[in-house]
Amino acid sequence: MDRVIYTSLTAMRGSQARQTAIANNLANVNTPGFRGEIAEAQSLWLQGSGIGGRAVSAEEVVGADMRAGTVTTTGRDLDIAMKGDALLVVQAPNGEEAYTRRGDLMLSASGLLTTGDGSPVQGAQGPVTIPPADSIQIDDQGGIWVVPTGGDPDNPQQVDRLRLASPAGSDVVKGLDGLFRVKNGGILPDDPEARVATRSLEGSNVTATTALVEMIEASKSWDSQLKLISDAREMDSATANLMQLPR
Amino acid sequence: MTIGALHVARTGLDAQSFKMQVIANNLANVNTTGFKRDRANFETLSYQMMTQPGATASADNRYATGLNLGTGVQLAGTSRIDTQGTFATTGNALDMAIDGAGFFQVQLPDGRTGYTRAGNFERAEDGTIVTSDGKPLIPQIQVPEDATGLSVGSDGTVSASVPGQADAVELGRIEVARFANPSGLQAIGDNMLVETTASGTPQVGAAGEEGRGSLRGGMLEGSNVNVVEELVDMIETQRAYEVNSKMIQASDEMMKNATQTL
Repeated sequence: MDRVIYTSLTAMRGSQARQTAIANNLANVNTPGFRGEIAEAQSLWLQGSGIGGRAVSAEEVVGADMRAGTVTTTGRDLDIAMKGDALLVVQAPNGEEAYTRRGDLMLSASGLLTTGDGSPVQGAQGPVTIPPADSIQIDDQGGIWVVPTGGDPDNPQQVDRLRLASPAGSDVVKGLDGLFRVKNGGILPDDPEARVATRSLEGSNVTATTALVEMIEASKSWDSQLKLISDAREMDSATANLMQLPR
Repeated sequence: MTIGALHVARTGLDAQSFKMQVIANNLANVNTTGFKRDRANFETLSYQMMTQPGATASADNRYATGLNLGTGVQLAGTSRIDTQGTFATTGNALDMAIDGAGFFQVQLPDGRTGYTRAGNFERAEDGTIVTSDGKPLIPQIQVPEDATGLSVGSDGTVSASVPGQADAVELGRIEVARFANPSGLQAIGDNMLVETTASGTPQVGAAGEEGRGSLRGGMLEGSNVNVVEELVDMIETQRAYEVNSKMIQASDEMMKNATQTL
């Protein structure tokens, strides 16, 4: 029997994984600061006897699309959008330093400043805790200014500065928690030149049209593999018919 | 049979339909006094590791990046956007708006203190100042039956002319409560918010002092819902819903072809 169906099967598994990656991009089309994932297949050549004409395919998420998303003005004091390719430094659930583009900051019950998905943002001395304050403002360099309770509204005080890092020259990859880390470990250098747009929020960078085209492509590649499998079946049954002993 | 793409797209549909509900609520309250719009916050669900980077693919090959597949999106919560609403002059003496941060305090039937931005107060039969649905204002202010020319000063002083007295009489002073994190207040309906651990404790005092907003009598604060913004959000959400349902359709087609062909 021909082994072509097994080669097709790997491609079908790939299409399915690719479709899941595209579905995830589409599901996150409205998630602030989301970066779309790029799934690609690579061929793995099989060694052994024979003509060496077979390569199975393996689907991989090769990385995230780091293009900027659309920035919209929201008017909320704690919304920031990183300009350029700057990344906001946050603390991952396991305590490591990680990076995100998500800028909808929140204040927890204890005054801890986190992103909208709950990762504590990092200031000069670790996680930022805001003391009880009348108002909180973030300036375009990431400085956090508060008017302490009962203080003079015209005289805010700087409590900390959001750390902004530059991914230039490093390869950042998305981890299982959706946060970015430097590939193979390490940390990114802080970028004193990084700026943020205040009272604005960066949306997801997934373009629905592109994702839909990719979705059709993945479906069609699935269908063509199916065609190959059914053709292989026909060929096999034709061979079997031909070799049948006359009765 | 589990099909990844189908379930991931379903999380997208769920999240978008929640967002639509938030937008619908904002639009429904476009004319509610003192209403603050909500925003739906999405977050990605955890990623699933299918292939570890560096795993051996075949004798001589190793996966360079691996396969981490996302599992979709969920609604993390809503946050109230506390921007100032527009003021409208009503001429009604007991209509008040807070210009700046802070809330009116109202006695709730269950004994708790409610906080509200809706300043459309009225005079009850017994002369106390109550909200339009009859909840008493804190601190309670008694308005004499024969008082005329009621007015509210920017510091919250309520005064009125009483027959037989030349000068206006000060009846009491409305206090304003402010919170370190007003987004942490919990909405309980009827324009009311209640204190939570996230909001912090209220700092109560005279209006216009220590960062508290000043009062404007004879005015009402409208909702801060911007209809155009909500409509744009609505279109965006509807389209996002549509692309996710397309994905469900496409995954379904794939499975249909497989079951029919094989």
